[in-house]
Amino acid sequence: MNSADHDRPGLLSNAASLFGSRKAEQKLLFLTGVYTLAGMLVIFLTMPGATGRIALQAGLATVAGFFLVHIYWHFTGFKGDCFLLPVTAVLSATGLVFLFRLNSAYGTRQFIWLLAALLALLLTTRLLKDFRFLGDYKYIYALVGLVALILPIFFGREQGGAKSWLDFGLFQFQPSEFVKILVVLFLASFLDENKEALAAGTRSVGWLNIPSPQEWAPLVVMWGVSLLLLVFQKDLGTALIYFGTFLAMVYVATSRIVYAVFGMGLFLTGASASYFLFDHVRSRVEIWLNPWPLIDTTGYQVIQSIFAIGSGGVIGAGLGQGFPNLIPAVHTDFIFAAICEEMGLAGGVSVIILFMIFVYRGIKIALKTKDDFASLAAAGLTALLGLQAFIILAGVTKMLPLTGVTLPYMSYGGSSLVANFILLGLLLNISHEAEMRL
Amino acid sequence: MKQNILKLGYLLLGLLAVLVIYLSYMQLYRGPALADNPYNRRYQEYEAQVKRGTIYDTKGIALAKSDYSQSKNRRVYPAGQNTAQVIGYINERYGRAGLESAYDRNLLGMEGADRFRNLLNRLLGREQLGGDVTLTVDSALQKLAMDMLGGRRGAVVLLDPRTGAVRVMASSPSYDPNRLEDIWPQLLQDPQAPLINRATQGAYPPGSTFKIITAAAALATDLSLAEKRFDCPGYLVVNGFKLDDTAAHGEVDLTRALAVSCNTTFAQLGLIAGAEGLQRAVKAFGLLQEPPVGIPARAGTMAAAGAMTPTELASSAIGQGEVLVSPLQMALSAAAIANRGIIMQPYLVDTVKDSLGTTVKQQVARTWLTATTPEIAEKIKAGMTSAVKNGTAQAAAVSGMQVAGKTGSAQNPQGQTHAWFIGFAPSDQPRLAVAVILENAGPGGAVAAPVAGSLLAAAVAAGY
Repeated sequence: MNSADHDRPGLLSNAASLFGSRKAEQKLLFLTGVYTLAGMLVIFLTMPGATGRIALQAGLATVAGFFLVHIYWHFTGFKGDCFLLPVTAVLSATGLVFLFRLNSAYGTRQFIWLLAALLALLLTTRLLKDFRFLGDYKYIYALVGLVALILPIFFGREQGGAKSWLDFGLFQFQPSEFVKILVVLFLASFLDENKEALAAGTRSVGWLNIPSPQEWAPLVVMWGVSLLLLVFQKDLGTALIYFGTFLAMVYVATSRIVYAVFGMGLFLTGASASYFLFDHVRSRVEIWLNPWPLIDTTGYQVIQSIFAIGSGGVIGAGLGQGFPNLIPAVHTDFIFAAICEEMGLAGGVSVIILFMIFVYRGIKIALKTKDDFASLAAAGLTALLGLQAFIILAGVTKMLPLTGVTLPYMSYGGSSLVANFILLGLLLNISHEAEMRL
Repeated sequence: MKQNILKLGYLLLGLLAVLVIYLSYMQLYRGPALADNPYNRRYQEYEAQVKRGTIYDTKGIALAKSDYSQSKNRRVYPAGQNTAQVIGYINERYGRAGLESAYDRNLLGMEGADRFRNLLNRLLGREQLGGDVTLTVDSALQKLAMDMLGGRRGAVVLLDPRTGAVRVMASSPSYDPNRLEDIWPQLLQDPQAPLINRATQGAYPPGSTFKIITAAAALATDLSLAEKRFDCPGYLVVNGFKLDDTAAHGEVDLTRALAVSCNTTFAQLGLIAGAEGLQRAVKAFGLLQEPPVGIPARAGTMAAAGAMTPTELASSAIGQGEVLVSPLQMALSAAAIANRGIIMQPYLVDTVKDSLGTTVKQQVARTWLTATTPEIAEKIKAGMTSAVKNGTAQAAAVSGMQVAGKTGSAQNPQGQTHAWFIGFAPSDQPRLAVAVILENAGPGGAVAAPVAGSLLAAAVAAGY
């Protein structure tokens, strides 16, 4: 140890050496591996025939996959956060175990997607390590994103009431899952450039300082895109996530709460207008207020979901011992209800706490960065993930109206899984850069 | 900007924390109600995994069992319509009723040690088993009672007055619980209401069978009334209203009055007992309570004591007032006289066993009510014995055994009188108490008494 090290506070140097060698990540991944294999073992013992064997093999391969990513990072000296990968591993392993338990075909496909997602994570942390260049082409991929969003309106397939899928035959692709990351990067770059003007305002109308149109026009376009999603793709949840993330980032960049309030007002106006204009929006709200008269029709799914949650109790029925398959399409948006039924309140709260840890680490990364672009990007990605988790969890528990989005890392769905692992990779890249500069 | 990020972090963590609180509310506070909600199919799904237990009669004959020979588990009721209302049914679409519903958790192995055994069985992929229930009901006697009812509207209850064990609980018309799917819509619309268990849920005017209650009420005020002689000219004038009797019985004592069912005497006894005295006796015989027999039963009803005019009191005393009772309640009233004034708690289920055959519940005879004193019961018993020997109830006589009984022909707005018989046998050492009613079938002595007689003879022949 040289003298420079002695000058540092002991804790920090310990932490630095720990993160440097990724010891914490290794230990946590080991525990995650034991957890994953225990879950798959239960599937193996309770499910007859090939299903159990495939589940066990998929469990082993998943654990190996996460470890490979870890080892790669270890040897390339990657300094990204050590806690995010284990948290994500627990979430996606739980999702995988439950998908095998609910329907082995979905489990198998999710397993393949998970491998693809891990590869995407690896490539993100390798190719986009210098994520900063992403900020330079913002208008190009703003356009790409917009096109990607509009495509499903004309060529898309409607699924579960939302028209947001592109069908490629072999698999379906949901552009909005990927575009949300582009939106965060675009906003981070744009707000970084224009935040002073937006914060101060360049001309005054009465007591209010308003920035010139050059500054705020792109933001209005963003609001328009959210509404576009809402109106044409009938994708309420995604619209809500886009707009929530947008407001959060504008607030973080400008410190002006008035933007957030004004934006929320606009969104509420749009939402209440759509309540009167669109049947599917109205029916969602009615189901939320009182689903019981609609139990045989539109309210069926949500009621089955709260039945499952209510039947769970404190520790649940036990893995494989409940009846979550009574919920239609339980493997996508409702996987949390299945977890609550079979793992009880203990399992449900654990999942929420894992998302809280994810958000905590994400905010920490955003606070650690030195420049505003990285900080905004980290905060935006964290807000995106936190909001998405909150919106779907609140929906399946009937705390808020159900808006059909996936539960990150857990729900069945390739686009969602790969996109969220890319999001993880970007967060880790930002954290890597922050650590490098320490 | 860092400040703003911190605030954003608090907001996101706050939202998720609210979710934790809400989820706890849903799972812990709302959870039990959601689990029991009839639209929640989890109990039914659970049922599909369990080999549901069997319900046996007292001789070990299955009355409800599950058939696993076909691919789909099917509940079979071998006694069919003879035990339909008592055994009840379980049906995915139409719910559950009767003893099947009352002992659901035992039959499904969800109680006591079975709960843990079945969790283990489930985890190991082994068959899950439910427990068995053995009744006090004798299916042969039950069949005889149903045959004698012959599809007519009515009910029969036969029980052991010493213990309260119910041997027969028949309700007619009935239905075949094995064909519930096909006949459900008709069952609901049938004006004869075959789904109703008339034995426990019927509400009938008791007619002259009520006279044993009136006698108990009057003797409670003055035991010497048993020796008093009443003159019956064939009618009685109360407050200017003339109550007609069936005949001029001349000079009668209580025993003779019971034997010939003298309205004049019992109207006078009712006036002596008073509205309060009569009400007290009605209560003491448990006519205003639900008999705790383990399946849904109806509590009897009676006009409030204070509101009774002497005329109403007189007609109530002969069972034509606003009193409405079930056949089970009248069988228990007869049992009270048979058992020296004590009514034992009636029960249908003798033993409940868990899936390993260990007895988890064994019914023991216990006192339900003290209806009257042994002395009063003795006096009334003499009258009831006389009614079968040389009174209105002679058709209930059984050779080689002295039967005690009381007939009734209850007037009602629907047409012919309801034919009633209540009684017990043998009258010196009663082992069986019975109540028979046939709706709108005519006089009790001619219609109901022979049914009771045949049933008592068969029961004694069967060793009860």
